Amino acid sequence: MVFCMSEQTHPVSSDPVVKVRDIRKDFGYLRAVEGISFDLNKGEFLTIFGPNGAGKTTLIKILSGLTRPTSGSATVAGFDVLGGSVRLRKEIGVISHATCLYPDLTALENLLFYGKLYGLNDLEDKANKAINEVGLQLRRHDRVRTFSRGMQQRLTIARATLHDPSVLFFDEPFTGLDLQATNVLKDHLHELHTGKRTLIMTTHDMSCGLEMCDRVAIQNKGRFAMLESIDRIDRENFEKLYTETLEL
Amino acid sequence: MNGYLNQVAAIVWKDFITELKTRELFSSMFIFALLVIIIFVFSVNLSIVGAREIGPGVLWVAFLFAGTIGLNRSFMLEKENGCLQGLLLAPVDRTALYFGKLVSNFVFLLIMEAFILPLFMIFFNIDLLPHLLPLLYVILVGTLGFCAIGTLLSSLSVNLKTRDIMLPILLYPLMVPVVIGSVQMTGQVLSGESLSGMMNWVGLTLCFDIIYIAVSIMTIDFVLEE
Repeated sequence: MVFCMSEQTHPVSSDPVVKVRDIRKDFGYLRAVEGISFDLNKGEFLTIFGPNGAGKTTLIKILSGLTRPTSGSATVAGFDVLGGSVRLRKEIGVISHATCLYPDLTALENLLFYGKLYGLNDLEDKANKAINEVGLQLRRHDRVRTFSRGMQQRLTIARATLHDPSVLFFDEPFTGLDLQATNVLKDHLHELHTGKRTLIMTTHDMSCGLEMCDRVAIQNKGRFAMLESIDRIDRENFEKLYTETLEL
Repeated sequence: MNGYLNQVAAIVWKDFITELKTRELFSSMFIFALLVIIIFVFSVNLSIVGAREIGPGVLWVAFLFAGTIGLNRSFMLEKENGCLQGLLLAPVDRTALYFGKLVSNFVFLLIMEAFILPLFMIFFNIDLLPHLLPLLYVILVGTLGFCAIGTLLSSLSVNLKTRDIMLPILLYPLMVPVVIGSVQMTGQVLSGESLSGMMNWVGLTLCFDIIYIAVSIMTIDFVLEE
């Protein structure tokens, strides 16, 4: 690559897949993320709950290389997030309430465009397969502008997984979805949680969040107030635990 | 290298497909440029002020103002649905994003200028055909400079609430050398001079084109970072 800055060519380490050490992020006087550390192994699914403004989205942005942390270190899929590495971005997929889809392009054109950016081979086949997997085969030649919110979110999953990333980030993926669309999205999440991929999701939806994850975190005022294995959580009383944790 | 060029081409392809479907960019730029020319034609008495004296300035003002609309619109498309975030998450060197947008803006502006030139010829009663080749060169160099720095500044201002105001405020002062050079060269070309007779202006404009592109390459990483 001609104008590429210094680039990591090999993963820093192979295990764990996500390694976060004392991450802090300040926006001026506002501390959005403070002292977060955790490890996540291959195939694990971490759900992060927390109120608005807890710093969940900022944490996802740091881990996906979109924002530099003020201090601390993190590696994802073996690549340092500080470097803004092109190789790191090949290993991750991000799904948020922003679909990142061009409304005047068709579903297929959107996937072809992103596929070209990722340098994928057999792109047309892969794009068509991804569209079929999210059940949009009859709408592949329709403009995204004509899609419902739920359909757009399904296409977003196809976009984010087109390059078969090893780590997936979901930032409030259920925002704005009706019950039916939420259930469809949950089904897709189950399919993506194969053991091959490592997933991190932020959400306010407790039932969805607890249903799929292996580990649960509660983030409040930038910090992880709790980080536990799902086996050690009483799902029935989680809402009470969540409220108590936030009050601490 | 091929991968890099493919990514630049993908961004250009995406912009062209979008524009072919919506025609928003071209129509708004063309109508605005046409209106600027019409306003000048009716507000200036061309029998007193010679068309060849005022024409080059009017032409570049029209290109500049219409181009600013295009630059603003170009990055606004990337903001819709958070598409800019999608681009930043893709394994694409930031300079490839810059060059993709630069090429798109450059070609869109050239197409608009190609439609405006015949109308300028009619309104100002200037025969451009004998000077077409040197004029084409002047337009290419001037438009490249405008798009080179304009693309960088529109990517900078796209995240601002006051982006519509900020882009021209940032852009026009920086554009002064290229605009002066382009207007001077256009005037001399219309007076029948050859390009070799105005090498100082040619050199100045080309120099600023190179400076704008170099500065953009060096800063685009920081400009696009959230």
